[in-house]
Amino acid sequence: MRLSVAWARRAMDWMLLWAASLLVPRSEREEWHREWRGELWHVRAACTPAGGPAGASQGQDHGRGQGQDQVTAFCLGAFQDALCLRRAGRAERPPLAGIEGTPRQCLLILAAMLAASYAIALLLPGVCAERSLWPRRMNPNLVMIEQEGVNDDAEATILPAQFRSWQGRKQKYFDGFAFYRVTRQDVGAEQATGGTENQGDQGHYEWNVAHAGANLFTLLGLPVEFSDADARARSDLKEVILSERTWKREFGADAHVAGEVVRFRGQRVRISGVAPDGALGLPGRVDAWMLESDPEAQASGAGYVVAHLTGLGAAEMWTQSVHIVANGPDGAEDILLGISLAEWKPAPGTLYLFAAIVALLALPAITSVSLGESSVNQQKTSWARRILRWSFFTAKAALLLPTIYFVSLDLAYGSTTIGRERAVYLELMSTFAMCLFSMRWMLKDQRQRCPVCLRTVTHPAQVGQASRTFLDWNGTEMMCMGGHTLLHVPSLPTSWFGSQRWLYLDTSWDFLFAGSTRPTP
Amino acid sequence: MPDARLSHTAAMILQALDAGFVYGFSIMEMTGLPSGTVYPAMRRLERDELIRSHWEKQSIADAEQRPPRKYYKLTAAGKVTLEASRKRYPLLERLIPSAEAKSV
Repeated sequence: MRLSVAWARRAMDWMLLWAASLLVPRSEREEWHREWRGELWHVRAACTPAGGPAGASQGQDHGRGQGQDQVTAFCLGAFQDALCLRRAGRAERPPLAGIEGTPRQCLLILAAMLAASYAIALLLPGVCAERSLWPRRMNPNLVMIEQEGVNDDAEATILPAQFRSWQGRKQKYFDGFAFYRVTRQDVGAEQATGGTENQGDQGHYEWNVAHAGANLFTLLGLPVEFSDADARARSDLKEVILSERTWKREFGADAHVAGEVVRFRGQRVRISGVAPDGALGLPGRVDAWMLESDPEAQASGAGYVVAHLTGLGAAEMWTQSVHIVANGPDGAEDILLGISLAEWKPAPGTLYLFAAIVALLALPAITSVSLGESSVNQQKTSWARRILRWSFFTAKAALLLPTIYFVSLDLAYGSTTIGRERAVYLELMSTFAMCLFSMRWMLKDQRQRCPVCLRTVTHPAQVGQASRTFLDWNGTEMMCMGGHTLLHVPSLPTSWFGSQRWLYLDTSWDFLFAGSTRPTP
Repeated sequence: MPDARLSHTAAMILQALDAGFVYGFSIMEMTGLPSGTVYPAMRRLERDELIRSHWEKQSIADAEQRPPRKYYKLTAAGKVTLEASRKRYPLLERLIPSAEAKSV
């Protein structure tokens, strides 16, 4: 039994060494393992002397146990040694040794960041939802008119007679009105051609149907998707426009929904298109819009009125809502409220542009905006190289700025729990911060790139003594690994050495940079 | 000019090698350092060309019925560095007397 325990520990030691050897680079593994196996033999011989009698005393057993622990501790040290060799191997073999510090590497990394941020923006449902709303924003000059003092904005308060009286008068502040009223209706669906039941629960639904004047969608300026003017002209049925929500819920977002026929209270009507979700901002939670003549739309009951402001009216619209006094049909004054249908929220692109411009203006406060191109020996690079340098700078900006845009969208709209109002602030702040620090990085990176080959200068070395600042320059010297330039950055800017300078190296420096190619400055 | 700014551990290992402890386990025993410290330190010293290693002949190991072991020795640069380290760590020689000191 004791023998089997000793063999088990011996096997464990071997396993430890073998496991540690897996960490060692393959080229060195065999020799490393051989050395540790040899050492282990000696360690075991020293710590657990063989020849202990089978019936050894308890004290001898205890000593042997301690020896075994020492052997195991020795084997565990192999992991540290293996990791040390592994790290050394990695340091000798940098993954991007060929392009490290080159402009190509920089542009590749920036392009990868742009692709990643764009891909994330495509994947995040919050960003997708927000993006789908961008082209569908309400006209900012539209207002919803309702009676003042109504607690519930969703309540229909305008009578058809009121609407007709306004429509008939010359208006100073409004140049267009549209009326709609909402009723709850049973709806049955059938195929336009065959008359069979369509998808849905037995083809019967109960919808909020808005009976609207024919000019409603023209006034709203919202496009109707899948609308076919020729088919509409050929059909003598009334037209109904589905809300996007209903289209998705009841018709499974079928792109061929236009032309299908549904029954509203037994009356056959033809689906002529789908209204975008922007129209859902109108009160009434409308599932479908039935476009009718004005007398039909205003047949009975209170409804909602959408009005379009003239230039004068828009100038009076200081806030989200405005009080309106209008003469009613009986000549009495109606006190009304006009509520803007446009969201106060600016478009993400506008917000981004604003934040980027503010960041650009703030940039000189945190860094020098100079590109640091002055040279010690008054040497200038060729025009071609200068154009290349500026092209690289422009390419960095062209990759970085869209990346910031997509990242800010990801941050602001990635989580649907934040809420759209807060998302605006988040987008603004994140865009500003990212623009500011990215522009700073762009300038700093550009200042540290050799004007000849655009590689980043490396190997910083401290030159001079701080105590001799007024006698000689002191600061940091970095070199281009292509052997073209040395960059001198003063530690303490003086009147005669205020900013960094490039020292262009002549051919006498070539011996230091064996194997480097030296294009002409 | 060799860099004399070695760690105390590295200086102890150089001193132990100079004192005639020429393989990893003997250095461990002499210095009291664990294997996880001694072997990685020797890798670094070998990389910096302060020590070099060679394998024992197989025939010698076979004759003694044991596996061959890897021996280490100081290079010329290692000796210069050790001299500098002795000035930096004056107690080094008292801790591990060198071969010459022991013979005196």
